[in-house]
Amino acid sequence: MKEEYICRCEEVTRKEIEEAIADGATTLAGIKRRTRAGMGLCQGRTCQRLITQMLANVKDKAEITPPTSRPPVRAIKIGEIVEGEDE
Amino acid sequence: MKKSADVVIVGGGVIGTSIAYYLSKQGIKPILLEKDDLASGSSGACDIDIILQSKNPGIHLQLAMESAKMYTTLADELDFDIEYKTCGGMILIENEEQLKIMKDFVKRQKAIGLNVQLLDLKEASEIQPGLSPLLVGSTYSPQDAHVNPMRLCQAFSRAARRLGAEVCLNTSVVDIKVGKNKVKSVITNRGEIATKIVINAAGAYAPMIGKMVGLSLPIKPRRGQIIVTEPVPKLVMADVLCAKYIVAKYNPKLLEGSDNPETRLGVGLSLSQTHDGQILIGATREFVGYNKNTTHEALRAILRNATRLVPALKSIHVIRSFAGLRPYTPDGLPLLGYVEGIQGFIMAAGHEGDGIALSPVTGRIISDLIVDGKTFMDVSCLCPSRFRSLMKNEKVI
Repeated sequence: MKEEYICRCEEVTRKEIEEAIADGATTLAGIKRRTRAGMGLCQGRTCQRLITQMLANVKDKAEITPPTSRPPVRAIKIGEIVEGEDE
Repeated sequence: MKKSADVVIVGGGVIGTSIAYYLSKQGIKPILLEKDDLASGSSGACDIDIILQSKNPGIHLQLAMESAKMYTTLADELDFDIEYKTCGGMILIENEEQLKIMKDFVKRQKAIGLNVQLLDLKEASEIQPGLSPLLVGSTYSPQDAHVNPMRLCQAFSRAARRLGAEVCLNTSVVDIKVGKNKVKSVITNRGEIATKIVINAAGAYAPMIGKMVGLSLPIKPRRGQIIVTEPVPKLVMADVLCAKYIVAKYNPKLLEGSDNPETRLGVGLSLSQTHDGQILIGATREFVGYNKNTTHEALRAILRNATRLVPALKSIHVIRSFAGLRPYTPDGLPLLGYVEGIQGFIMAAGHEGDGIALSPVTGRIISDLIVDGKTFMDVSCLCPSRFRSLMKNEKVI
């Protein structure tokens, strides 16, 4: 059977996420720490919803907390951050 | 969850899971209680370095060196890929003043047996390309290494469970019952566990657990902010720190009230590249209570410091920032061992930024203490009672 990728940036499969849930992960952060899903370039923009659906099968939807939002909002070049400021 | 246990461990980070493993290995079946998830605190919000060079020569460095020895066989022993790799490490030196301090630091570390040397800029640049031409040089030790702390927690926890430990996630400690100055039981949100021994491995949250038995612990959360880049081909060849990192770590008083935001935030370079190619750029050392936010001021200060030392970073993209709370203690050393006056209450917290490096050795020391009553190396200077006024005597009868 072909592997189904849930997180494309980090190449994490549905099976790996199911294993993380079986291992005790009950949050998006818990799945991230076990599998790297959501740690890649897009920071979970696609896989976050898919994983939330998978978590909803084992946990009350209302209890699924969103992951922590952290700057930067979009990937930004280090040179631009350092040079684009007033001294 | 069982109703009783020989030992209850509070905290599912690199310290708690390590203790659970080493105890299980010696035939004790502990219950580990974690209020959230494995590595959900500082163990999942830190860098990947196992650095010997950043440790103060003395008991601190001795602990790290014992731990480093244990790391070399740990992945095989735990039967889990913890992404451990010896990569070497360097501390960048910017001026003559720093060089003088680092010369003395290196000399004292060598005396304890660490393989470390001073390099001039040319030699340093051969190991780590892309360094600023304004640097004086660096230190270098081939013994520094990397590990993935989140995988380390998973590995310890799985191995401990295979040996009979019970790991309870989403289980918080509500209270600890003490009678006649002895630990009696731990009350959790899922019921009570009778036990004679409780280990406080709650990291930055250890003071809250200590309070339950009337202790006033000198541990304070110290925020460390770290920046993550996109994955790039191998660029950071070793664990790279700067001399300011050492100053910020051991001299918090020098940082207060500085006009320079970098200094005030305790910025010291900590640069490493993960197994997956992302670069971690750190870090700050700030006293802001239990606030885990990241700030724009710190993002800029960290990157300004990093690019001044390693200009080659400028063309790389930042994708995320995060923050963890390091359990700071006034003397920079963890509290390890039994607490006087409360029989059965053990401290294993306060490692600040050294928890990852010291995780295996801490697990072994605490399990030795419980099983044999003595430890393989003398850690009496780390006993919690070195801090006076530990006891509040509010609850102890």
